[in-house]
Amino acid sequence: MNERFTQRVPRKFVGGYRPKIDGAEKASGRARYADDLTIMQSFPNLLYAKVMHSPYPHARIKGFDSTKAEALPGVVGIITYKDPEVASLKLTNAGWTDAVDTVPWDRMMFQFRDRRVLGEYASWVGDDVGFVVAAESEEIADEALRLIDVDWEVLPFVLDPIEAMKADAPLVHQDLLTTNVMAPDPTGGDDVFVVKGDVEADLARAEVVVEGRSVHHNATQGSMDNWCCLVEWKSDQVTVWSNSYAADQLRMHISQMLDLPLHRVRAIASYVGGQFGRCDTGDQPFFLFTALLSKKTGRPVKFRHSRRESFHDSRQPAIYTCKLGAKKDGTITSMSFNSIGNAGAYADHTMFALKYVPKELTEMVLAHIPNLRMEAYGVYTNGLPGCMMRGVGNSQFNLIFGHVIDLLAEKLDMDPIDLCVKNFAHEWESLPSASLDAVLREGARRIGWKEKRHLPGKGRAYDTVKRRGVGFSFHPAWHAEWQEKRRGQVQVSITLNPDCTVLLKAATIEIGGGSNTCNVLGCAEALGFLGIGTEDIHWSSIVDTNDGLKDCVQTDSAVSFLQSEVMMYSARELKERLREIAARELKLRPEEIDFAEGRIVAPALPALDMTVKQLLHKGDMAPITVAMSRAPNEKQTGVPFFANFAEVEVDTSTGKVAVLKLVVVNDCGTVMYASGAEAQQIGGQCQGMGEALTEEIIYDKATGVPLNFNWIDYTIPTMADMPDIDPVLLEVWKGGGEYGACGIGEGTLTCTPRAILNAIYNAIGVRINDIPVKPEKILKALGKD
Amino acid sequence: MSTEVKEVSPVVAQPHVLAVAQSRSIRIRINGLWRSFALGDDLPASATLAHLLRERLGFTGLKVSCDEGACGACSVIKDGKAVLSCMVLAVEADGHDILTIEGLAPDDPVVEAFAEQSEPGYGTALQCGYCTPGFVMTARALLNENPTPTLDEVKDALSGNICRCGCYAGIAQAVLRASAKIVARRSEV
Repeated sequence: MNERFTQRVPRKFVGGYRPKIDGAEKASGRARYADDLTIMQSFPNLLYAKVMHSPYPHARIKGFDSTKAEALPGVVGIITYKDPEVASLKLTNAGWTDAVDTVPWDRMMFQFRDRRVLGEYASWVGDDVGFVVAAESEEIADEALRLIDVDWEVLPFVLDPIEAMKADAPLVHQDLLTTNVMAPDPTGGDDVFVVKGDVEADLARAEVVVEGRSVHHNATQGSMDNWCCLVEWKSDQVTVWSNSYAADQLRMHISQMLDLPLHRVRAIASYVGGQFGRCDTGDQPFFLFTALLSKKTGRPVKFRHSRRESFHDSRQPAIYTCKLGAKKDGTITSMSFNSIGNAGAYADHTMFALKYVPKELTEMVLAHIPNLRMEAYGVYTNGLPGCMMRGVGNSQFNLIFGHVIDLLAEKLDMDPIDLCVKNFAHEWESLPSASLDAVLREGARRIGWKEKRHLPGKGRAYDTVKRRGVGFSFHPAWHAEWQEKRRGQVQVSITLNPDCTVLLKAATIEIGGGSNTCNVLGCAEALGFLGIGTEDIHWSSIVDTNDGLKDCVQTDSAVSFLQSEVMMYSARELKERLREIAARELKLRPEEIDFAEGRIVAPALPALDMTVKQLLHKGDMAPITVAMSRAPNEKQTGVPFFANFAEVEVDTSTGKVAVLKLVVVNDCGTVMYASGAEAQQIGGQCQGMGEALTEEIIYDKATGVPLNFNWIDYTIPTMADMPDIDPVLLEVWKGGGEYGACGIGEGTLTCTPRAILNAIYNAIGVRINDIPVKPEKILKALGKD
Repeated sequence: MSTEVKEVSPVVAQPHVLAVAQSRSIRIRINGLWRSFALGDDLPASATLAHLLRERLGFTGLKVSCDEGACGACSVIKDGKAVLSCMVLAVEADGHDILTIEGLAPDDPVVEAFAEQSEPGYGTALQCGYCTPGFVMTARALLNENPTPTLDEVKDALSGNICRCGCYAGIAQAVLRASAKIVARRSEV
């Protein structure tokens, strides 16, 4: 039995262990997702769209003949790259936003415009190119694509980023660029994007220097709910049902790319079956061509990815090297990072991962290291584009960060936990960080750090050939409220009905992170003076841009507190409105009235026995609505820390790694919903362990064809694979606002791969630093291949 | 639109005798009701059971996520056993008994246990919920056969289902709690 979390401040609703607010709807199969809302039964007139995928890693369409496809019964519309409505579309990219904000095309966050919507160039096997068909069934649409006779000019390709950097490498975008190495951009900065102090001089005189290298591959998000949309272009109104998790930005995307005013575009979404950072605006050309097909055919058109097609972006793969200088007492004096990111075919969020996030980390965790240098290069190759995945950039950085810490600790014969506490804290706190100290000490206690840790490879053998070891890694969180200012205004509308029930409009598309539950708990907490419970609050899973509220995009469970913070203000406003109503009724001044547990309290009327419900019953019965918009609290409170600890058992005869136990510790500031937070912590280990040990996209290097775009060969952990997981919630740090919470969802898995890798080293005494660590890598490292 | 030719009241299951190719129609008992479907353009012989149930009949509880038998999201119960409806052709269900999540009782102990799961240390049994109906039906089939499974037996039975949110700990607890509910309800009777 794991230990139960206890709250720093006891609260009635926020922070408790309780079922999810949508638990019954989801467990009974009644919850409806985009694919469920758009079935044939609901849209009897619908057509299905399918797009052509390039069979080559690099090619250009020289010409085509679509006569046979057009003649196929059941084909209703074909659009090709030659058609003016496609050929006139602006170049785009998936780097429009950091996923939470709404921005137009000219203000995209990362200004790499390298994606053509249905272009004539193909830049990876699977690239959407050239042709899209609307037909009476998906099978007919697929058949029509096969019947289009394409004259391909097959071009040379490159998959390896180091090869792609060479002067004679094939150019991935020969029509747009003269090199595969991305030019510095305004948001990411120069190639050398962090210079603090003098790293080279310090390394030259440092008492101890260590150097490490790590390779992070491209795991993919694997959302179970494949991309799906249905677009109906009727008269001059475009309505989109989809499982995009950013409705307001989707509306902006379509408006900007198809040149439509915002009021002519309506985006509707419901539950989304997992997000995990899948995509961003601009890598979703299907919204555009599905809309154009609907316009052309005059019928609603549905487009959805197959499982194979859903392998369309990944975590940004990165090769890191780091050189670290320190004193003999363990004081780190310099760190120098170099990285090469394999962007794949499109730039997308490459510089987010390689530069933007590491630069933030200099403030969040490296603030007390006097000499820092960071240098990064994003490189185009003809592979799957790297984009966002749960914790953009942080996982890749942690893989090298946790490595060099372990190296240094070993060289100094120091406990790495002591080494971390001695050196790392955020910019606005002095060493040691109370939050970091707490997460590391608690994690160590839970895993049995002191008892289980031994000299690398020197532990006892189990079953003759098996060795056990423990390891950890830590990282700073990155979704405190002050870091959410890019979102702009967070909007919430609360309506109090005359029977004292509540209509809550806190638009956020529920992707599983539990923000809807947090919002209902936050609403009940804020309206505590009404004496209501969660059952008195109506909320909806449907987000509709025509409601006029910007949806708060669920990233890193930050929405668990952002809208609840606004509700505290809404509640105050609502209370004022009720005071005025009560004052008129009771013939008192508003300041003489208060409310407690749903009852009116007026010291001037000690005998008063009236509930809020009775008060409202006497009035005009009009609902009272308080609509509130507030920017996130910008008070710079720093960030809390989190850590992962792992115990593994390595079979030195087969190379198989069995993870025996994982401990995940998150300092949350305030836990908004304990069961949901623990679910995120436990679930995160599943993805983190998959990235560390099994999940990998494999290419046929001779042809550039990815070989495992399916869930048989891309191996996601199942129930049988997962070890015992101990989720630990702490409230040590506190941010601004009532709750001062912090998102934890992404962070739960950021350190899992490095914790497992360090545990493997502790077990067998040999380091492996490229993930996933499949058995052959262990055997090779042990000299047994 | 509908390919359904007639609905028959629940009656005694009749053995299917005619070859599908001859009759060009199939009969399936879905959630207790025998239903007949004509094969044709709207329902080709290549249509999967998942397609029939979801797209034609609106049983959207089951999800098609991988469409190749790798994830379990489309699990339904066929003649008491959990099957992957994306791997079963509609014609293969001819003459058989199919139970979808919509056919479970409103107070089904498995559904209740999945919905309620929130015990400290295990998280919830679902986050995004997309895999949940598949897990519920697989667990339901397990508990029909073995009402008191051990944790290892639960893991073994459910390891063909993927939950990308990774709620396996909560799911396993929910199945054990559903088992306890079943036992408790039996002793009440």
